[in-house]
Amino acid sequence: MQKVGIVEVAQSAGTESPLSLMEFTYKPVKEVLDKVGMKRDEVDMYILASTDVFHSGMSCANAFDWDASGAFMKPASREEGDAITSFVYGCMPIMEGKCDTVLVVGLIKGSENAENDTLTSFVADPFYSRPVGIQETTAAAMQMRLYLQRYGITEEQCAKVVVKNLSNALFNPYAHIKKRVSVDDVLNSERICDPLKALECAPKSEGVCAMLLASEEKAKKLTDKPVWFKGWGSSMDTFYLGDRDLLDTQLKTAAASAYKMAGISNPRKEIDIAETCEPYAFQELLWCEELGFCAQGQGGKLIDSGVTQITGELPVNPSGGVLAMNPYVARGLYRVAEAVLQIKGKAGEHQLDKKVNTALAHSTYGFCGQWQGVVILGS
Amino acid sequence: MGRAVAVIGTGQTKHGRRDDLSYPDLVREAVKKAFEDAGITPKDVDGVVYGSMPSMMEGVAYNHFYFADALRTVGKPLFRTETCGSTGQSVAHTAIHWVASGMADIVLVVASEKEHEGDAQATMMTILEPFLMVTIGGAPVAFSLQSREWMGYYHIDEDKAREAASIVSVDSHDGGLNNPLAHIRVKLTKEDVSKAPIITYPVRLYDVCPVSDGACAVIFASEEKAKKICKKPAWVKGIGFRGEEYFIGDSSKAVWQSTIEASKEAYKEAGITNPLKELDVAEVYNPFSYQELMFLECLGLCPPGEAPDYVIKGTFSPGGELPCDPSGGVLCCNPIGAAGLIRVAEAALQVTGKAGEHQVEGAKLALSHAMGGAMQFNGITILGSEL
Amino acid sequence: MAEQKEKPRKVASMGMVPYEMALGPTWTRFFEGFKEKRILGTKCNKCGRVLVPARPFCPRCFEPMEEWVEVAQEGTIVTWSYVNYTYFGVTPDMIPVIGATIKLDGVDCGTGMWTQIGGFDIKDFELVTKKVKVGARVKAVWRRKRQGNFRDIDYWKIIE
Repeated sequence: MQKVGIVEVAQSAGTESPLSLMEFTYKPVKEVLDKVGMKRDEVDMYILASTDVFHSGMSCANAFDWDASGAFMKPASREEGDAITSFVYGCMPIMEGKCDTVLVVGLIKGSENAENDTLTSFVADPFYSRPVGIQETTAAAMQMRLYLQRYGITEEQCAKVVVKNLSNALFNPYAHIKKRVSVDDVLNSERICDPLKALECAPKSEGVCAMLLASEEKAKKLTDKPVWFKGWGSSMDTFYLGDRDLLDTQLKTAAASAYKMAGISNPRKEIDIAETCEPYAFQELLWCEELGFCAQGQGGKLIDSGVTQITGELPVNPSGGVLAMNPYVARGLYRVAEAVLQIKGKAGEHQLDKKVNTALAHSTYGFCGQWQGVVILGS
Repeated sequence: MGRAVAVIGTGQTKHGRRDDLSYPDLVREAVKKAFEDAGITPKDVDGVVYGSMPSMMEGVAYNHFYFADALRTVGKPLFRTETCGSTGQSVAHTAIHWVASGMADIVLVVASEKEHEGDAQATMMTILEPFLMVTIGGAPVAFSLQSREWMGYYHIDEDKAREAASIVSVDSHDGGLNNPLAHIRVKLTKEDVSKAPIITYPVRLYDVCPVSDGACAVIFASEEKAKKICKKPAWVKGIGFRGEEYFIGDSSKAVWQSTIEASKEAYKEAGITNPLKELDVAEVYNPFSYQELMFLECLGLCPPGEAPDYVIKGTFSPGGELPCDPSGGVLCCNPIGAAGLIRVAEAALQVTGKAGEHQVEGAKLALSHAMGGAMQFNGITILGSEL
Repeated sequence: MAEQKEKPRKVASMGMVPYEMALGPTWTRFFEGFKEKRILGTKCNKCGRVLVPARPFCPRCFEPMEEWVEVAQEGTIVTWSYVNYTYFGVTPDMIPVIGATIKLDGVDCGTGMWTQIGGFDIKDFELVTKKVKVGARVKAVWRRKRQGNFRDIDYWKIIE
């Protein structure tokens, strides 16, 4: 199995762009190629991640996305759903020794499509769940209620996630939401789906993230500081919410596989920074538990302790996370990109004030985290 | 190079109009058969790859969530790969890379479509953005445009092309009669085909694939596992995938570069230098009989512009030098998302001698193919009986 | 256990989703040309190809296409198709139409838009097969009132 190095990343900002999706996608892809001094056709393979008609307004999105991703007449494929899978797919042909370089790109223009809740209602089955109004937000609200009740997590503790992440986002030039908020601001924001408040829900953002992966030999030639792919894990849960314990998701399984592959036995000690996918604030706390950063039910205490602050021992979402920047579909690749930047020491103003050796990137989508994926990167 | 990969089991639904089942149950039917064929249980699988056409087809977004149980993916990783009509090939390629990379030993691949639940042509029109390529038409228009471009480019006589297309249709429908799972099972004559009602000139009713419900599941395994589990695996010999520009006029669709380059790559990997001689059977993606003619040329199975001559002399007919689509092909069964994977499954059946009534005797090397997008993408997988 | 009395049923379902998609500077300028009865393409300074519709970058060379050129409004039919069927969203009064790819003079690709041939009774299929041929010459016919979208070209007229 060949080692996979991440050579370079580029991302676009989350605010609404007047560019067409084609123009918007082209820029970060071109930026990555220019940074490493490669021509489009010199890259061995392209893996796209985008989404079809509901989130993009176009079916078979790879048809339109192809040109701007640089994939013309190159071996290529497209992942649908979450872009973190395109990253893992991109690693495969390098590991098997078939490709030296793979360019991965995740893309979406959130400003162009309808509210996330309208769109995710189509994820529900047409017979039982959709007619009663299940979509990502209503499902998340039920998950939050259970979380508050079972473990005595407080609404203040959940609000603290928003305060932390939006404050981190002030230092991330690509973040979509830039405003300082207090715990009171969060608690007093509209109760859109009790117990969820408006400020606890992620926005809809634009986002194209491009990343060049390379074999060990090639990566060392292309950059002085490659970041290495160390492990991944992913797991899917059953569909109907009533069939699951919403506080016992498949993230545990996904994380266990990723840790095993990366040789991590004590995630809390060995991981230096984590970028998680928290479209709803409380989920960051729940995911931290399931990732093994604290014991079950202790997510509230974890945020109280300050460990996950940007200055803490294990910063979570120093980029501002998904609460500050939510390009649905591409967001998983953004998590990986932010982890890469932290290891490279190139995160700019939100660079951690410590040596970063091991970073975790997490993504999830589906109701209450039905699909979970974890990637581990190392220096 | 990575580890060798093999197909160790396949399963297909009875294709057709399947109002008798909900969509998840249709998927389950194929998955169950694949496990029975491979003689393993879902416990043995490391992960799942799923794909279909876009969600507007049946109106459920990211339907892999809805199908999680049917796909037996609960507690396991899932990749969703989707490249339009070529999805069936692309999902297989994801699994092949996954196993070859060493990150999985056994991967279940599933693709499906329940076309009767939505409007396929209305869906396919949304492949086009709403500003520039807006028109009325759907897939039959795209592919009759392509057929005519091909005929015009090589100055192919319209009657000769008509005759060849009729032979393709008759042969495929004969194949469908031999395939108990095929959707369309009728005996046709050349005259039935050439006198059928026009859909989009020159394409007539029997030149066009049906609207089908169906699912297909294929299990891939590493060399070590395949040898342990399976008496007769179908080995992956080569794969290729290419896509060209989005705007339809940018590239020639008569000399279709994405088909040519994708097949060249697969042949190279498989060590094939003369595909017509070396291949024993081909499952060419043929939703439109005229399009198959162009594919035969672009896949390097006959010289450019000469497909009608080769078809008329019987090269690709049953008993010919390289029988094409003995299963009946897409002309007899087109659950779109699954159609490309059905080609892979059929190729596996052929090289392992399990194709039953539509078996091509002694087949050792088989090509499977699919295309998709706004005449944009082509994917190839070549399977063989020998490692 | 209650017995199943009905045969398996289906339920009707319909979804509506709105979108607002950015045309972007390249295609906004392209359609500004339409308002003035001009067809604009962009030229790649690397491979020299002129593409219509205009592109922000060359899909092959992957360099920005910043040079704008006005192209001819006459060209040749590369291929065409006679559309005479309906599906959801297409009603019988909307057909038949003749879709075509047209290579405009001096342009290095087909129009890349599925343009429509017209200007005569296209319901008469015999007449269509007489007039519309691969290689036939055509000319753009503009609408009197143009709004800067693809409908501004009313149809493509066959030059006899």
